[in-house]
Amino acid sequence: MTDPLIALRGVHKHYGDYHALRGIDLDIRTGEFFSLLGPSGCGKTTLLRTIAGFEEVSEGTVMLGGQDMRGVPPNRRPTNMVFQSYAIFPHLTVAQNVGFGLRRRSDLNARARDTLVADALDMVGLDGFGARAATALSGGQRQRVALARALVLKPKVLLLDEPLSALDKKMREQMQVELMRLQRQVGITFILVTHDQEEALVMSDRIAVMFEGGLAQVDEAEALYRRPASRRVAEFIGTMNVLPATVAGDTVDVAGLGPVPLSEIGHAAEGGGTVAVGMRPESWTLLAPGDPAPPRATDGTVAEVVYYGDMTYYDVALPGAERPVRVSMRNLFGSDVLEIGAPARLGWSPGAMVLFR
Amino acid sequence: MDQDDRRGWTLLAPPFLYALALLAAPLLTILVFSFWTQDYLTIDRTLTLANYEEAVTDPLYRQLMLRSVTVAGLVTLATVVLAYPVAYFVSFHVDPGRKSLWLFLITIPFWTSYLLRVFLWKVILGYNGVLNSALTGLGIIDEPLTFLLYNVNAVVITLAHAFAPFAILPIFVALEKIDRSLLEASRDLGEGRLRTFLRVTLPLSMPGVVAAVLIVFIPTIGDYVTPALVGGPGGLLIANMIQTQFLGLNNQPMGATLAVIAMLVVTVIALAFVLVTRRWTRA
Repeated sequence: MTDPLIALRGVHKHYGDYHALRGIDLDIRTGEFFSLLGPSGCGKTTLLRTIAGFEEVSEGTVMLGGQDMRGVPPNRRPTNMVFQSYAIFPHLTVAQNVGFGLRRRSDLNARARDTLVADALDMVGLDGFGARAATALSGGQRQRVALARALVLKPKVLLLDEPLSALDKKMREQMQVELMRLQRQVGITFILVTHDQEEALVMSDRIAVMFEGGLAQVDEAEALYRRPASRRVAEFIGTMNVLPATVAGDTVDVAGLGPVPLSEIGHAAEGGGTVAVGMRPESWTLLAPGDPAPPRATDGTVAEVVYYGDMTYYDVALPGAERPVRVSMRNLFGSDVLEIGAPARLGWSPGAMVLFR
Repeated sequence: MDQDDRRGWTLLAPPFLYALALLAAPLLTILVFSFWTQDYLTIDRTLTLANYEEAVTDPLYRQLMLRSVTVAGLVTLATVVLAYPVAYFVSFHVDPGRKSLWLFLITIPFWTSYLLRVFLWKVILGYNGVLNSALTGLGIIDEPLTFLLYNVNAVVITLAHAFAPFAILPIFVALEKIDRSLLEASRDLGEGRLRTFLRVTLPLSMPGVVAAVLIVFIPTIGDYVTPALVGGPGGLLIANMIQTQFLGLNNQPMGATLAVIAMLVVTVIALAFVLVTRRWTRA
């Protein structure tokens, strides 16, 4: 295997008494779309700023392209950043913003610079915006300028600090697709910081989930979702129904569902002290009258209905379970949406279960 | 007139009358006086441009006006150049919780009267003053320096000190408004600290610098206390001549003419400056 582009070894960061990063070991490969995902205050932005050079590590090493980055200032690192606020220079035009970092390139004459700037603007879909004042742009356009300004320098790594959080939902979804297209086009390693698990799942090749300054799991999107390493990761990524359970010999007795052979359970993860079993909402099947009976089914009552148009979420109370389980169903043509209080028969399979202990 | 109108006028009347009586009326009086002439003991009230002609042609007035502009320019330059680092330090290197304390400390010397501070500079710069005694005591000079007091240098030093906070505050405010992520962006895009300052911080703080220049330049050009006290004969400015015309020579029309010309000069320079610096202060 080739050396990773970025290698973090035992990285700690202290701010006075506050321990922001607690021993991070991480490898990021060339050309990867990598996300740092976690709740606010988990240290993901600090980690990104450590790679950019805005924060010096208190302990440990940051290697970039095989070189130790200790003491290397941000302007001498092969990284460029898209800031959360975009940090567009208000006193410059769009073209001057994009060309900002090209000014120190003495190997380029003015015409070569102009060509690079025009190409970069073209790449982000801002063809012909060069002469505009940077202050006259919308949020989405400012973000594109910030992207062009960083990418025009052809960095080894592009760092994105919550770049989509200031955009509305439609715009955000559009930019997600565009960022993925750009990343494939330029082939540069992207590191994205986000607190939005959906965004991370959609865009990334690999995701690092962070809690309290430490890495909880580093994996591909599907693995994080299907095979979370811990109950905390499972509950942070998507929705997870967690049912209390007890293990006796080689069976697990799940509250509301009954005994299940341990060997049939899909995936085992760390729990939070107590034994429990997790099931995603889409792993249940809401059976209509007359459907063929699955091997395992349980009767319950609809406690809550949340209608989304294409999907309906039901909270179904199961006898013997403390809290209702959340079940998602696609609203296929011809299927009725159940009402609160209606009886519901749920089909399920142990293979979709995650055991936490 | 409905009730809203009446209430509006009632609210507006006191400041309006105040401005009329204490700003517009005196200014108009000065303007009218400038077109009259002094005829020994009486004032000749025929309107004439004779005073203006004399003011423009007499080399004495020209020299004083020129010196006033030069001194005000030097004071402005010295004040703003010295104020910028102070404002920069407070904005960028002082703990946010202590910034107001720093600004408070900067204004402390200005709790004493302006006149007292001018006299204190006399004590510092004088022949037997603090500076000369110290330098002689240390054996750096044999005889007291005489170029410190009673000349243009003394006027510039004293005025620059007097106007320091008026330059520090607007520059500080402009620096405070700069989004710190812009400085990080510049560093991230490959520029070092000095180039970041020149390409980002300085241009973005220009509105504060322009405000500081105007705030210092406009009042200093008409200052007459400082040149009268520390300027000596070679350090007198146009305002001192205006005072002499009004009180010493009893030639009020000529004094009025010089005042009007001084106002025009200030206006033209200030407007030209604002126009030239507009590209940095827009947006």
